Amino acid sequence: MKKQFKISLLVFVTVIFSVIFYYSLKANNKNNPNIMLNKPLPVIELTSLVNTNLKQELPLINRDKYYLINIWSSWCVPCREEHPILMKLKDKIKIYGINYKDKKTNATAFLNKLGNPFYFTGSDKDGSVSIEIGAYGIPETYVVNSQGLIIFKHVGPLNKKIYLRISEIIK
Amino acid sequence: MRNIFLIILFVFFISAQLAMASTEREINIYKNIRCLVCQGQSLNDSNSDFAIDLKKVIKKKIIKKKSDREIYNYLTERYGDWILFNPPLKINTFLLWGFPLMFALLGGVFIYIKVLIPHSRQ
Repeated sequence: MKKQFKISLLVFVTVIFSVIFYYSLKANNKNNPNIMLNKPLPVIELTSLVNTNLKQELPLINRDKYYLINIWSSWCVPCREEHPILMKLKDKIKIYGINYKDKKTNATAFLNKLGNPFYFTGSDKDGSVSIEIGAYGIPETYVVNSQGLIIFKHVGPLNKKIYLRISEIIK
Repeated sequence: MRNIFLIILFVFFISAQLAMASTEREINIYKNIRCLVCQGQSLNDSNSDFAIDLKKVIKKKIIKKKSDREIYNYLTERYGDWILFNPPLKINTFLLWGFPLMFALLGGVFIYIKVLIPHSRQ
C-alpha cells in the first residue's frame, strides 16, 4: 500500500513537471519587439534637424488617419537600402523622421542626394527619443493611428513585403 | 583657517560618498537589465548603441530621483519583462517564484516526519 502510494506520488510529480516544462518551452517568453503594438505612442518632442527652433510633438490626436515614424541615420547602411520605399510611401502617408545620432551636415547631404521623404525630421542626438518609443536600433518604422496607437511596428529595413503590408493597413 | 579647511574636507567627503552611492545604484540597475541586442549580456557588460542609450536614459532618471521600481516599470512598458534578468512576480511567473518555497516547505515537513518525530519518541 505504502509502495503504491510512493509510485503514484512519483508519477503525479513527474506528470506535473512534464506539463510545466512542455508549456514553458512553448511559451513565448523571449524578447518580443512588438510589445508596444496597440499601445499609445509615448509623448515625444522632436526638434527639427534643420531649424532647432522648430518643434513637433507626437502623437498627433485626431489629425491624420495614420502617420508613419521612421528612425534613420545617414551612417546606417540598411537605412539607405529602405530609402526608396520611404520615397514611395511619402505619397500615401505623412512620414515623421527621427534622425538618430547623426551629424546635421551628413543627414542633410543624405536627404539631398537620395530625396527627402519626411514631412518633418527631428533630431535624436543622444538616442533618448528612440528609447522613449521603445526602439531597438535603426532603421525602425512605426505606423500610428489618429488615436495615437501604434498599430504596426517593423524592426529593420523596409522591404517590398512590408511596403505592401503598410499600404494595406493605411488603405 | 583650520575650521574652513575642515568644512571643505567634510563637504568633499560627503559629496564623494553620495557620488559613490549613486554610481553603485546605477551599476546595480545596469546589472539587472538585459541588453536586448546582445548575446546574453547585461547592460553593464555591453557597449552597443542600445546599451549606451539606455544607460544615459537610466542615469537621467536617477538624477530626476526616480525609484528603481519606476525605472524598471519604464523599461518593461517599452521592452517587456524580458529586459529584466530578475523577472517580476506575476501570474505567469508565480510557479517560478512559488516552487522553491513550496519545495522548502515540503522538505521541512518531510524532515519533521522522518527525522524529528522518531527522535522525540525515543
